[in-house]
Amino acid sequence: MSVDPWKGILKDTQRHSAYLRYFEEWEARIGSFLEYRLSQDDPSDSGRLPLGGVPFGVKDNIAVEGYHCTCGSKILKDFTSPYSATAVNRLKAAGAVPVGKCNLDEFGMGSSTDNSALKKTHNPWDVSRVAGGSSGGSAAAVAAGLVPFALGSDTGGSVRQPAAFCGVYGLKPTYGAVSRYGLVAYASSLEVVGVLADTVDTARRVFDVIKGQDELDQSSALYPGLSRDRGGNPGAAPPAASTARIAVVEGLEGLSPEVEETYRSSIDFYKAAGCEIQPVSLPSLDYAVAAYYTIATAEASANLARYTGIRYGYRDTGAVTMEEMVRSSRTKGFGDEVKLRILLGTYVLRSGFQDQYYGRAQKIRTAIRNDFDRVFAAADLLLMPVFPVQAFPHGDTSLDQFQQKLADKFTVAANLAGIPALSFPTAPRNGLPVGMQLLGPVFSEQRLFAAAEIHEKSLGGIPRPHGFRSV
Amino acid sequence: MAEYQSFIGLEIHIQLLTATKVFCGCRNRFGDEPNTNVCPVCLGYPGVLPAVNEQALLFSYMVARALNCDLSKTAYFDRKNYFYPDMTKNYQISQFHSPIGRNGWIEYETGGELKKVRIHDVHLEEDAGKSIHRGTATLLDYNRAGTSLLEIVTEPDMETGEDAEAFIQNFRRLVRYLGVCDGNMEEGSLRCDGNISINLKGKGLGTKTEVKNVNSSRFLKLSMNHEIGRQKRALEKGERIVQETRLWNEAQSRTEPMRTKESAHDYRYFPEPDMPPFRPSPAFIADVDARLVELPVYRKRRYEAEYGISGDQVQFLTEEKPVADFFESTVTAGADPLQAAAWICTDIQKNLNKLQIGLEESSLTSLRLAALINLVKEGVINRKKAELTLSLMLEEDKDPDVIVREQGWEQISDSGAIEALVTEVLQANPKAVDQIRGGDMKPMGFLTGQVMKLSKGQADPKLVQAVISGKLGS
Repeated sequence: MSVDPWKGILKDTQRHSAYLRYFEEWEARIGSFLEYRLSQDDPSDSGRLPLGGVPFGVKDNIAVEGYHCTCGSKILKDFTSPYSATAVNRLKAAGAVPVGKCNLDEFGMGSSTDNSALKKTHNPWDVSRVAGGSSGGSAAAVAAGLVPFALGSDTGGSVRQPAAFCGVYGLKPTYGAVSRYGLVAYASSLEVVGVLADTVDTARRVFDVIKGQDELDQSSALYPGLSRDRGGNPGAAPPAASTARIAVVEGLEGLSPEVEETYRSSIDFYKAAGCEIQPVSLPSLDYAVAAYYTIATAEASANLARYTGIRYGYRDTGAVTMEEMVRSSRTKGFGDEVKLRILLGTYVLRSGFQDQYYGRAQKIRTAIRNDFDRVFAAADLLLMPVFPVQAFPHGDTSLDQFQQKLADKFTVAANLAGIPALSFPTAPRNGLPVGMQLLGPVFSEQRLFAAAEIHEKSLGGIPRPHGFRSV
Repeated sequence: MAEYQSFIGLEIHIQLLTATKVFCGCRNRFGDEPNTNVCPVCLGYPGVLPAVNEQALLFSYMVARALNCDLSKTAYFDRKNYFYPDMTKNYQISQFHSPIGRNGWIEYETGGELKKVRIHDVHLEEDAGKSIHRGTATLLDYNRAGTSLLEIVTEPDMETGEDAEAFIQNFRRLVRYLGVCDGNMEEGSLRCDGNISINLKGKGLGTKTEVKNVNSSRFLKLSMNHEIGRQKRALEKGERIVQETRLWNEAQSRTEPMRTKESAHDYRYFPEPDMPPFRPSPAFIADVDARLVELPVYRKRRYEAEYGISGDQVQFLTEEKPVADFFESTVTAGADPLQAAAWICTDIQKNLNKLQIGLEESSLTSLRLAALINLVKEGVINRKKAELTLSLMLEEDKDPDVIVREQGWEQISDSGAIEALVTEVLQANPKAVDQIRGGDMKPMGFLTGQVMKLSKGQADPKLVQAVISGKLGS
């Protein structure tokens, strides 16, 4: 299965109307888009393009010219982007059509999408549950079959965790592999534009289009092997995915029984497939969440300083002085979680306290990189759970905001180290998806795809939520 | 009264003459319609990223090198956080932890003496926009937002306002010689804040004040000297100096505490994650070195020592690099240095002023000037005719020998022709002839003038005098 059946779905009048009906029925139940336009305008005139006429969704913190870019925040509710992100432009050049902007936790801060100030998004498997976050809208839209893929962003797990909650593939690329130009910054040194996709093949094909250096993002990197890949064989798998050496982490604590069982069965699966399983320890993992929140909030405190209502976005018109206007626009425009993180970030960057917080977090970051280097010196891949639990119900009081942050332990490490990770769906338990993730050294995306594909084939069809229909 | 010592350090900002802004492709131009040289990047729109301008890095390394700094092998940017409506992101991309240059020094000349100032650091940053206050409203112009600004921080190695004035004048010439800044203090492309403290001699630095709003080198001198006086009087009265920012009040010729309440800023510097560190390649450094020039202060001293040019002339010759370059190539083309200096500083300047053009825009080349100077030296034309020749050279874009030929201005050096002229004049002025014969040499000049007049200025005056003297046996 691939994106090919989607080609031309917008142009063909009959297919278009069926698609529109399907889309709107689902959308009424799950609320995955903040804005969408399923017009029949398919600007690509041929199916020759790799993604000709394929519709896709874009997380609403990624700029698409002419669409809003709300970031799920009241402060940008009426803001329309005057330009498009590089990843979006590359997809458009490949023929794909952005059809809407997907809901998210405000500025990407959250693990449920319930932190969106603008809309509630529900999990297509069970609408009483969250879709995960922060790319919850993107994950839900793909899981329900509204689009074959959607762009998301992953700062600390924001692509992989909702992918795991909704039962789709979620790629967090190597830092710098995909241009961040047009991704509204939350934590610049950690985040990447990622892909939520219905199959491994879709994820791979989208990644091949969006990856590569961009002069507008000087932190982007020349993707190795780009010239070789261009020869029409982008999905070339490393020769022996089924004999890869896979590291697994021993003694993980705090996993729900469902996640723990799935982790064990996934290890068994790869062992049976012929892979060499290597138990490893990752001692620095226990410090990852603290380091992550220190660095992410520090960067956020600067990145979110530009929202003042002076040039764009929400402005409180009641204020008299400029200072009042800025203070009151920010007070009324930002949600609680955003304010919390700005305050935390301001705190950890205070002069005299930097060594204690920010400097220490950077040391942990180095330790985590070293841990991964050590693991990948002996293994090709690392297999880990994505999140300790399955999709939780809206307003679940068993996981408060603080516990949700602790639960980011398995995802944030890849962001701190800048390495790629791919979340993949496994057989559902209790009617809900469970996601596992494969991690590899920098620029090893093709290795991740290959290993996930072996697993995908074994599923005999990826499990889909009730009511899902293929195009 | 006790003996005090004063310490002055400067924080200098220069706007680099890059074609585009430092982190985006917008034009870097002064005086355009407000908010026309802007884009999502310099307006700080959601999702944009900075991309550093290589030319700005090149210019910055040139300045750091010229100031004898240790050049950073990994220069990176930091974010300096503070809210200000002129600044679109509410953080300024600047350098704090690893600036482009550190630990430098530079010599400057004052009263013919070389003095040394240590350079603390040289760092690249972005400029802010401008607030324009209209009644109760504040208008914002972001044309300047994101243009490249280089900050140079000196150590407190100057003592007097005169030192500071001479330093900033020397520094202004330096950046203009390098071609990285136009050095216009009135328009703000070169800005300077003075840090000043005084203390009892031998007691080290005192409590400093910072003086802002100084937009000329003269005001820098006046404000520093005023501050030295004020601080001395305060200490004499047993008061303590308050560490504060003061403004130079031009109208009152004094410094005053800044009226606005300035809260203590914590800029919360941290490394800019959007751009990787800049590691200059050997080729980059070679390019920097290739663009360095002999600094004006050394050029001036060389002209003094090598050619014996002094005073206003050497000052004028070395003020602007194109003029100094023109002078040197004229000398290289075979002209006498003192003659070349005299022509450039007076006659050429007069003509250019009349035509209202600069030396570079004129048709005058150093080869033509050297040829002109040599026409005089070889006696082909005299100095008076040479001045007229120069005017025509500039007006008609022609070589001097062509003009001299066209105008028939060649000097009459043929003694036979001159003798005929002298005879005519002597016959017409018997009184003068008698005077001289009687031993009174006074009419000599008059007679020479008459011969020159008769020759329409083309006779060689020296030869004329010789012939008269010969004839009158004086």
